[in-house]
Amino acid sequence: MKKAHNDPDSCIACTSCVAYCPVSAVTRKYAGPKMMGPALERFRGVDPNTEFSLEYCSNCKNCDISCPSGVPISTLNMLAKSKMYKSKRHSLLEWILAHSDIVSKLASPIASLANFGMANPVTQWILKKVGVTDEMKLPSYAGKTFTRQFRDFRQHSFPDKVVFFPGCYINYYEPDIGMDFVAVMQENHFEVVLPEGLDCCGSPLVIQGYLDEAVGKGRDNIASLKAWIDRGVPVITCCTSCGLMLKMEYQELMELEYMDKLAENTYDSSEFLLELHDQGRLNLELAPLTGRYIYHSPCHLRAQGIGRPSLEVLNLIPGIGIEDADAGCCGQSGTYGFQVDRHEIAMAIGEPVFQRIKEYEPDAIVSDCSGCRMQLSQATGFPALHPMTLMRRSYEAAKP
Amino acid sequence: MKQNDVIVIGGGISGIFAAITAARRGKQVLLVTKGVGAIATAGGTIDMLGYTWDGFPVRSPWEAMGKMDTDHPFMLIGRDTVEQSVQAFLSLCLGEGYPYLGSLEKNQWIPTALGRLKPTCLVPRTMDATGFKAAEDVFVVGFEGLKDYSARLIAGGLAECPGYRKNYSILSVKPEIENGRDLTALDVARWLDSEKGHQSCIEQLIRFVRPNSFILLPPVLGTRPDYVLFDKFEQATQCRVIETVGLPPAVTGYRLRRMLVKCLAKWKIQVIEQTNVIRATLANGRCSEIVTGNLDRQRSYQADAFILASGGLFGGGLLAEPDQVIESIFNLPVIVPAKNSNWSQENLFFTQGQPFAKFGVKVDEKLRPLNETGQVLLENVFVAGKTVAGYDYCREKSGNGVALATAYRAGLEASEEEIA
Repeated sequence: MKKAHNDPDSCIACTSCVAYCPVSAVTRKYAGPKMMGPALERFRGVDPNTEFSLEYCSNCKNCDISCPSGVPISTLNMLAKSKMYKSKRHSLLEWILAHSDIVSKLASPIASLANFGMANPVTQWILKKVGVTDEMKLPSYAGKTFTRQFRDFRQHSFPDKVVFFPGCYINYYEPDIGMDFVAVMQENHFEVVLPEGLDCCGSPLVIQGYLDEAVGKGRDNIASLKAWIDRGVPVITCCTSCGLMLKMEYQELMELEYMDKLAENTYDSSEFLLELHDQGRLNLELAPLTGRYIYHSPCHLRAQGIGRPSLEVLNLIPGIGIEDADAGCCGQSGTYGFQVDRHEIAMAIGEPVFQRIKEYEPDAIVSDCSGCRMQLSQATGFPALHPMTLMRRSYEAAKP
Repeated sequence: MKQNDVIVIGGGISGIFAAITAARRGKQVLLVTKGVGAIATAGGTIDMLGYTWDGFPVRSPWEAMGKMDTDHPFMLIGRDTVEQSVQAFLSLCLGEGYPYLGSLEKNQWIPTALGRLKPTCLVPRTMDATGFKAAEDVFVVGFEGLKDYSARLIAGGLAECPGYRKNYSILSVKPEIENGRDLTALDVARWLDSEKGHQSCIEQLIRFVRPNSFILLPPVLGTRPDYVLFDKFEQATQCRVIETVGLPPAVTGYRLRRMLVKCLAKWKIQVIEQTNVIRATLANGRCSEIVTGNLDRQRSYQADAFILASGGLFGGGLLAEPDQVIESIFNLPVIVPAKNSNWSQENLFFTQGQPFAKFGVKVDEKLRPLNETGQVLLENVFVAGKTVAGYDYCREKSGNGVALATAYRAGLEASEEEIA
């Protein structure tokens, strides 16, 4: 497969990226994707002081999606960010947000205590001092991580296997989604494998400029996935940012052996189900689901160039009423909206989506991305579900 | 992957309009795009035919079209089809609450941000310059800090145009927007979207403008495809308001794209963004599937009919290589002079036009691709927009016009295809 091509000179300065950048739409603090990406790329190396607003880029990928000339604008930004931090210190907050995996590893074993700790006024005060917004409720650690739940769960064994890449969010905060995925795969006669040594995909590190560490994560993940991929077992994720990293961003940002093979074999969970359906082997014993649902398509899914597979798969559920919100970026962009000086920006970006959802008054929001679900649920007050949760409910309701 | 009735390649104005045309005929349509094309950043007007081939301004595109070369796309598909495409576009806009004005009968001349007049055919109400030539008092409004826009340049330039000597006054509005990067028309439009923004702007204007005058604004009257702000401005100032054709990002184009994208959802057109179509599977003069090549892997998509609207040399649908031009998806022939050196003229504004401007795929009246000897190469592939050979939109001022007309015809033809 071809390697990503980071050429700023393909930019013809048409300003499509400026027109469709969600951050630029709500603040002038950000110089915009055209300026920070291809335009300044030509000055980098000559003048190290060119990165005056790079921290405002949320790596949401709308610039790449809108560019008619195929310029990987967000990649140029992320590479520049990593260079910028070679001579600039990270803040404590940036470290914390980039290393949620380490923080979670420490906090998760004592989840209830940690959650209590997060909620108490002293911690809240410290978090605010560090720069975390107090306008948003931080997610709570699950009592038992996905990894532990999975190890304790007895699957039916099937000859067909899939590897599951849970990612940090599902592992530490929403393990139930991972278990929903396992149940859905079992319904389709697949056995789910969770290889030893899977790590954070590296996405939160990249956005905070810790590219070298992200490269390490990439290498570790490839090391634990390689043997399975060599055997022809696909890798599946329920997180669109992990998926984008494994499919595209490793190739755009790094030079890792075997990354093209990994990309070739990585699937989004709904994308995989849709492929099963195309092959005529998706279990269609799906019971009708009642309820009004509204679907929000995450930017990191749109950037994968596969359309909106969740909408297609969920529409296989008889009687399901699911509306496409189709209202743009939610603003959260992973950890972007947690930062006190970005929270207002994130909320302004998401406003059209919030409005759309509030007007629709759904029973639940459906979205593939944990950051989107958290943001939309908190901003609108409606619960937010992963597509796999609905699929599992429909399968289980179909059983006698 | 799933079987579709029609697959359209290209997210520009021709791709989107072709997709809508087929979907309105009950077809299940998949649109695959790489980028947003040129609609959003361009001026949003539909130029049908502004100048004849020998450089004379066109009064009636309908009449002038009758005298064009037979290999021009308008002549290939016929004037009646062009007229139908115009009607289809106008009714679409009307249905979306964002009506465009104009007809093939008559061009109009509209003011530009460079202080010149350009001929165009269909415009949103905000750009309608009917009656402007007879105006006496004109207030040319600028915004403090707005990039690529000088009210003084516009007033000075227009005054030089024959018949446009008027009483021009320059006004400057102070936008109340946080400091930061360069201010674009889109930033100002977003400010005016807000209640506070347009109230403030209107207050600043009515202090100076006299009723019954004309007001020239940059394209800033909101980002939504409607006339709510425009009507408010006209009522509050009791003046005729005209948005000039602006430089990218010109908000008038952004509004047009927003309206078209709304239609994609309305007609249940499936869209796959950020994907690169790399080849097609062909057999017996037909195409059965296209293959996308993203960074991860290839994927194939099947359909009964295909519309190629991937753009020309500028949009990436055609690739210039040493001594040849390539259409890389279907490998369609693009006939060009044998040597690169004969593709262009040194003088950029060469009176006969730049040879490369007309490069493209030769097509028949149904817009099916032809080989060198004029035989149809693929029965169920239809070409639309700048991928089609034989027109020079810069010189003719026919860009969006050919895009819409060919898209419309391609959409109709593709809807006729059933699986063989």
